[in-house]
Amino acid sequence: MLLIFLYAFTVEGNSIITLHFTFENFAKFFSDSIFPMVLARSLKIAFYTTVICILIGYPAAYIIAQQSEKVQTFIVLLITLPMWINMLIRTYSWKGILSYFEFDAEINVMVGMVYNFLPFMILQIHTSLSKLDRNLLTAAKDLGADEIQTFLRVTLPLSIPGVISGITLVFLPAVSSFFIPKLLGGGSYVLIGNLIENYFISVGNWNYGSAISLIMALVIILSMFVTKKMEKKTGEEA
Amino acid sequence: MKKLKKILSNSFLWLVMLFFYLPIFYVILFSFNESKSLTKFSGFSLQWYQKMFESRSVREAIYYTLIIAVLATIISTIVGTLTAIGLSKSNKVLKAVVLQINDIPMMNPDIVTAIGFMLLFSSLGVQKGFATILLAHVSFCIPYVILTVMPRLRQLDDNLAEAALDLGATPFQALTKVIIPQLRGSILSGALIAFTMSFDDFVISFFTSGPKVSNIAIYVYSAIKRINPTINALSTIIVVIVTITLTIVNVVPLIKEKKKRGISDEKVSA
Amino acid sequence: MKKFLLSVLTVLLVISMAGCSKDNNNNNGSKEFESNELYVFNWGEYIDEENIKKFEAKYGVRVYYKTFDSNEEMYTAVVGGDKYDIIVPSDYMVERMIKEKMIQPLDLSLITNIGALAEGVKSPDYDPKHEYSVPYFQGSVGIAYDKNKVSLEELEEKGWSILADPKYAGEVYMYDADRDNFLPALKALGYSVNTTSTKEIEDAYQWLLKQKQDVKPDWVNDIINDYMIGTDGVSDKALAVVYSGAATYIISENENVGYYEPKQGTNVWGDAMCIPTTCTNVKLAHAWINFMLEEEVAEANSLWVGYTSSVQAVIDKLSGEGGDFYGIESYTPRVGYPKDEEYHDDVTLDDGTKLKTKLAELGVKVK
Repeated sequence: MLLIFLYAFTVEGNSIITLHFTFENFAKFFSDSIFPMVLARSLKIAFYTTVICILIGYPAAYIIAQQSEKVQTFIVLLITLPMWINMLIRTYSWKGILSYFEFDAEINVMVGMVYNFLPFMILQIHTSLSKLDRNLLTAAKDLGADEIQTFLRVTLPLSIPGVISGITLVFLPAVSSFFIPKLLGGGSYVLIGNLIENYFISVGNWNYGSAISLIMALVIILSMFVTKKMEKKTGEEA
Repeated sequence: MKKLKKILSNSFLWLVMLFFYLPIFYVILFSFNESKSLTKFSGFSLQWYQKMFESRSVREAIYYTLIIAVLATIISTIVGTLTAIGLSKSNKVLKAVVLQINDIPMMNPDIVTAIGFMLLFSSLGVQKGFATILLAHVSFCIPYVILTVMPRLRQLDDNLAEAALDLGATPFQALTKVIIPQLRGSILSGALIAFTMSFDDFVISFFTSGPKVSNIAIYVYSAIKRINPTINALSTIIVVIVTITLTIVNVVPLIKEKKKRGISDEKVSA
Repeated sequence: MKKFLLSVLTVLLVISMAGCSKDNNNNNGSKEFESNELYVFNWGEYIDEENIKKFEAKYGVRVYYKTFDSNEEMYTAVVGGDKYDIIVPSDYMVERMIKEKMIQPLDLSLITNIGALAEGVKSPDYDPKHEYSVPYFQGSVGIAYDKNKVSLEELEEKGWSILADPKYAGEVYMYDADRDNFLPALKALGYSVNTTSTKEIEDAYQWLLKQKQDVKPDWVNDIINDYMIGTDGVSDKALAVVYSGAATYIISENENVGYYEPKQGTNVWGDAMCIPTTCTNVKLAHAWINFMLEEEVAEANSLWVGYTSSVQAVIDKLSGEGGDFYGIESYTPRVGYPKDEEYHDDVTLDDGTKLKTKLAELGVKVK
């Protein structure tokens, strides 16, 4: 109850602004090829970030989950600790580190994004893996499944909810992040988050800013819907 | 074969850790930089530590950051967990709707949420300060808690709670003795994420904190044009304190255990 | 784990509280002011904090000091109901806040140090008679250049156009903010930075597109200092659009860098202290403004921040022989260039669109 009440806050708060816009703003967005292009670029980079986070995060979480409980706690804390250092500071230090390499803007931004969001992915997957019922695994083994089969048939399907949570936690903020592309992208790498920030703060056009973020939200909801459909499908197959 | 696998998996983990800590080492190194630069090291100096301890703004920022992060974490963890449990028991439509709403603050850029909160507070005529920033933090932390607890809840066996009720437990007992203990890990993860989000938030804090309250993130971001290693010194101190405590908390029990074992060994030999 | 978290937090809390409690004991103030608290909203890292302590000691009050990093953020927070006693907007924002009646007229009789103001800031466009604002820091936008790669003669010959010279392909940093991005283009073409002509904006846009094609500049902002300081006295790139304050810092770290303001004119800016209409402690706010103009105080601030003071005596001292900024051309403001302009707020183009909206749109396309 309290939560719904609180949400009423955010949603209501947002609607104060979004109330004002007209369709003009939307027309403006789509009439100019640059904005959809920026949106597409943001979705692309958020998608890659999410994929890389899963590719690194899943094995990492899996390995962590194999350790004794004390070691697990220890590692989880070790992973969280860097996030207590201000994001800007961490991104600045990446800027320094990356300046020794000659990557292009896209790779720089990607490194920064993966760095920033990977801990969330690991934490989410780890939570779902660490509490797996060991009996299920033993049962699978007793029934003659080899390790790979056990993993594919038992562990993986059971950890899917964690992966989905992880995707949400990485993908959603990644689409709209703007400090990382601003700092690591060398200014020429504009993402939708930068656009929204610029319209809200520098230009002071809240209406257009809200319109852009609304369009973004719609696109994301759509893609989340697809993810959820996929989750159901894999769930049924399992 | 097994050994090789272990070595491989351990080295993978070490690589991930290295990735996480590389920038942190970099931050620590530059906190000792002689010049103001954050990317070019010119010589060793402790001046940024001195400046940090002299600055009242920094000390106050640390104080508010911590107290807000702690309170926001506690409140949002409790509310978020209860909501998640409540949702898992409610019907499908409601659940889907609330979960969808739950995602909104996460995909909204912070600035949209921040302006929303600001307008809300000012239209209510509330003077912004400690209470408003705390409320804002609580509400943006809750979705993360829900998102973390939810998957674990789905794995839970519903029958357990029902069994508890059948055996005469009150609903409250079923909640605290049966459901929550099973969720422990995910609640802790949720709390950790909430704490991190609150600790590091700038945009929402800036627009909801009013003239009296500031935090580390506001301090850092507002100095962005003239940023200097004071903030690296601050970060280093945080890392050092956390690491020391981490080591003590994890190593002391191990030593104690060893000692105990040593004593019992002696007894056996005696 | 719980134990661990608790212990970390206790340690940190104790440390920071020990720090705070020390400072909270000075509420024994006089009855001279409406209250003993002053709320100041200033740019980050824009004051020597010792000055806050001195002010508190002098007047027996407590100052709550909060920081922001852009005019628009500050404006939004004030619109959103935050009540400050002192704010420090830049020129165009002062103009806007006067127009929107967000700041109140000053009582100049309470600001006895007003005569200390430097020549260049005595009558700014946005508030020529200091009815609403008193300058705090000032500066300009110019070109920082690596003296080993670019000669002053060449800069004087080409002016802003040097930034678009194919000779310096890959050697140029542009400033990553809409108006500062268009500044070199508009000035190279001989236009005003406050132009209302859609055609002139279009020309400038084409200039930037051509520049992008020929030179492939990088757009940066805050990190520029480190890049121009470079390694072992060699800047990462030959040319950069920078603020004079940043240039002062760069040159003090790398003497091979010079600062040049093209004769075609540039943007001159000033940040000024104002009292919002919501201020509840007007007298003390005036005392703060007056205090900031005291020579010692202003000197400490200028030394700390590295930006050009609004106080003439401080400029003379710091840029004079033996001063900390002696020989650094970016510290001393230039006067007598009619083509140097402040940015004006709320410029509407002849086709009815707002200048800032237009620049934001075109800016994304250029990058």
